[in-house]
Amino acid sequence: MTQPQPNMDENRPHHINPFQESWTALLFMLPLLAFLLILIVIPVVGTVLDSLMRDVAFLPKKWIGLTNFQVLLKDAAFWQSTRFTLSFVVVSVPLEVFLGLLIALVLNESFSGRGILRAVVLIPWAIPAAVSGRVFELIYHYSYGAANYLLKITGLSHEPMNWLGTGMGAFIGVVLADAWKTTPFAALILLAGLSAINEDLYKQARVDRAHFFQRMWYITLPLLKPVIVVTLLFRTVMALRVFDVIYVLTGGGPGGATTPLSLFAFRYFSAADFGYGAAASVLLFVIALVFSVLYVKAGRFEEELE
Amino acid sequence: MKKTAFLFLLLLLSTACSQGPDRAVVFAVGGAPAELDFWENLADEFTRTSGIPVRILRQPSDTDQQRQSLVIALKARMKDPDVFLMDIAWIGLFSAADWLMPLEADMDTVPFFAQVIDTVDRFNGRLIALPVYMDAGVLYYRKDLVKAPPDTWQTLIASARKVQEAQRKTQPDFYGFVWTGAQYEGLITVFMEFAGTSGGFVEENEGIRLNCPANIRALRMMRELIQPLAVSPANTFTQMKEEEVRMAFQQGHILYERNWPYAWALHEADDSPVRGKTGVAQVPAPETGRSVSTLGGFHVGVSRYTNVKAEAMAFVQFITSYDNQKRMVMELGWNPGRQDLYDDPSILAKAPHFNALKSVFQHARPRPLKPYYSQISAVAQTHINRVLAGHAAPEEALAKADLEIQGILSRYQVDP
Repeated sequence: MTQPQPNMDENRPHHINPFQESWTALLFMLPLLAFLLILIVIPVVGTVLDSLMRDVAFLPKKWIGLTNFQVLLKDAAFWQSTRFTLSFVVVSVPLEVFLGLLIALVLNESFSGRGILRAVVLIPWAIPAAVSGRVFELIYHYSYGAANYLLKITGLSHEPMNWLGTGMGAFIGVVLADAWKTTPFAALILLAGLSAINEDLYKQARVDRAHFFQRMWYITLPLLKPVIVVTLLFRTVMALRVFDVIYVLTGGGPGGATTPLSLFAFRYFSAADFGYGAAASVLLFVIALVFSVLYVKAGRFEEELE
Repeated sequence: MKKTAFLFLLLLLSTACSQGPDRAVVFAVGGAPAELDFWENLADEFTRTSGIPVRILRQPSDTDQQRQSLVIALKARMKDPDVFLMDIAWIGLFSAADWLMPLEADMDTVPFFAQVIDTVDRFNGRLIALPVYMDAGVLYYRKDLVKAPPDTWQTLIASARKVQEAQRKTQPDFYGFVWTGAQYEGLITVFMEFAGTSGGFVEENEGIRLNCPANIRALRMMRELIQPLAVSPANTFTQMKEEEVRMAFQQGHILYERNWPYAWALHEADDSPVRGKTGVAQVPAPETGRSVSTLGGFHVGVSRYTNVKAEAMAFVQFITSYDNQKRMVMELGWNPGRQDLYDDPSILAKAPHFNALKSVFQHARPRPLKPYYSQISAVAQTHINRVLAGHAAPEEALAKADLEIQGILSRYQVDP
C-alpha cells in the first residue's frame, strides 16, 4: 500500500524559510483542525467531564468523581447491555467480513455485468439503517411477516413463529439485519484491497501450477491481510456503537435482551440523567479503544510501513 | 478563505434574522398528520384574533422522541419552544427540573378535572400545566359476540376462552384478548390495570416497590393469557403496541381489546369492519381491590426560558378555552381536559360514550409523579416483559426490579 516517497528535499527551492513554510502549512490545516476541535475534541472532553458529575436535570449539578462509574459497574442492566454488545460484535463482525470477502472475490473476477452487479451489491449499504430495520421488521412480523408467510406456504409449520420473541431469536434477528446492511461495506473495502494485488503474482502462480486454494492461501490472504484487519477494525468500532437497526427492530427487547450500550446510554440521556449516560458512553469509548489498539497490534502496521 | 468567510457571514446573518423583535410563539407538538393540521389551523386562528404570530414546531409522533427533543432544548436553556404538550408521565421530571413557568394566577382551573389538576398540574402549590386531553385505559368488546362486558379479569378470561374456541371453527386466527404487552410505557399502563388498586407502584415513605401479592398475581395472569391459555397472541410481548392492538381488533378477529379512548372513533369509522359491533366498558377488576384505569393524556406547559411570556400565556388560554377544546373533540375525537364538555349536548349527540368516560377519568390513577419516573418505568418494563416472554418467574422478576429501583432511588437522593 505504501510506495517509497520521492525525496522532496531535492526539489525544494532553497530560498524559503523553513519556519515560514511550516506556518503556511499550519494555516492550510487550520480549518481542518478547527473542525476536529469542534466536532470531536470538545464533545469527547465534554462527555468525559460530564461523566464525573451528577448532571441530572432535577438535582443540583455536582462533582462526584468516579461515583457514576462505581454505580454503573454494579448495574445489572449495564452488564446485560455489555454482554449483548460484545456478543453482537463477536458474531456479526466476522460473519460480515467473511461474507464481504466472498462477495469481493466474486466481484474481483471479470465477467459481463460486473459493473452493474458491483453497484447492486452496494444498495443495502446506501439504505438508512432505520429503514432497513423497518424492512426486517416486515420480514419477522408475527401476523403479516414474510418469514411466517414462507413457513405457511411451504408447509413447514402451521403455527406462525414469533421470531423476535426469545432472546436468541431476537439476537439472530438483529445480527442478520445488520449483516444484510453492512456486508456491502466490508465487500467494498476488501474489493479495493483485492484490486491492488499485482496480477503478475497470479500469473506466476499459474505457471507454477498452484491451484485455486493455494493461490488463495499463499497470495491473496497474506497480501490482503492489512486490508482485512482494517475492515475488521472499522466494522468492530461501528458494531460496538450499533443503535438504529436495533432501536427500530426490537427496541432492546424482549426483556432487555438486545439493548446495546449506545441504547442504554441514550435512555439515560433522554430521561435527563446526563452524567450517568455520559459515564456509559465513556466506558463504551474505552472498550472501542481497547479493540482498536488490539487490531493495530495484530495488523503490525508499523512493520508494513517500514 | 474568501468562501469560508462568506459562509461564516451567511451563518451570522441567518442567526441574526431568526431573532427579530416580533418573535413568534413557538409551539412544539407531535402527532399524526391530521392532528398537526388541527394545531396549524388553531394557531392560524389565534394569530388572526390576537395578532400574535405562532409557529408550530412539528415533533415526531413517538412520545419518547418528543420527550427527548424537549429535554434537549430545555437543558440547553433555549428560548424556544415556548409552549409544548407534555405526556402526563414527564410532568414530574419537567417540574422538578424547574423547566416550567408557573401559569398566570388568573387562569381558571374550575372547569378542569379537579383531581387531575391537584395531583398532576400543581407543583409546590403553583399551577404549572393544564390538561389538554385526557386518556385512561378502557376495554373494547364485541357486542355481537358477548352480551355484557366482564366485571373481573377472571370472567374476561373465561369468556375469552369460550368465544375463542367457538369462533376458531370459522375464523382460525381469532383471539380472545389483545393488549399492549411490548416493552414500552404502554406495558406499564396495562400492568397497573391488571394489578388494580392494591398493586402497581407501591409508594411508601419515600420508597417505591413492585414486589407485592397483587402484582405477582397480575404478572402470573398476564403470562397465562399468552401461555398456556393462548387467549392473547404469541407476539403480545414483542410487537403489541396501541396501533397493533387497535388494528387487530378492527380487522374483526378479536373479542376484547384494552386500549385508549382514541380507538373508538376509528372502530366506528365508515370503512371499519367492526363498526356498530363495538362496545366500550371500564377495565375489569382484579380478585382483590377495585378496577382502576391508568391515567394518561397530554398537558400544556410554558417553558421557563421563554422570552414571550405574555403571548405564550395567551396562547395557552386560547387552546384550553371551551370553544377550542370542543373543536378538538369534534375534529379529532379527543377527550378534553375540561370536565364541563362532557355534559355538552352536541358532543353527547356525536359521542354518547363521553358520559361514561367522565367517571373513568375522575377515578383514573396516575403513575408515580417522580422526576425519575421514566428510569423506574424502564426497569419495570424490562422485568415485566421478561415474565411475559417466559424468561423469569413473577416473584423473581419483581424482586430484581425492586433491587434496581432501590439503586435508582439512592442515586437520586437529594443532599441532606
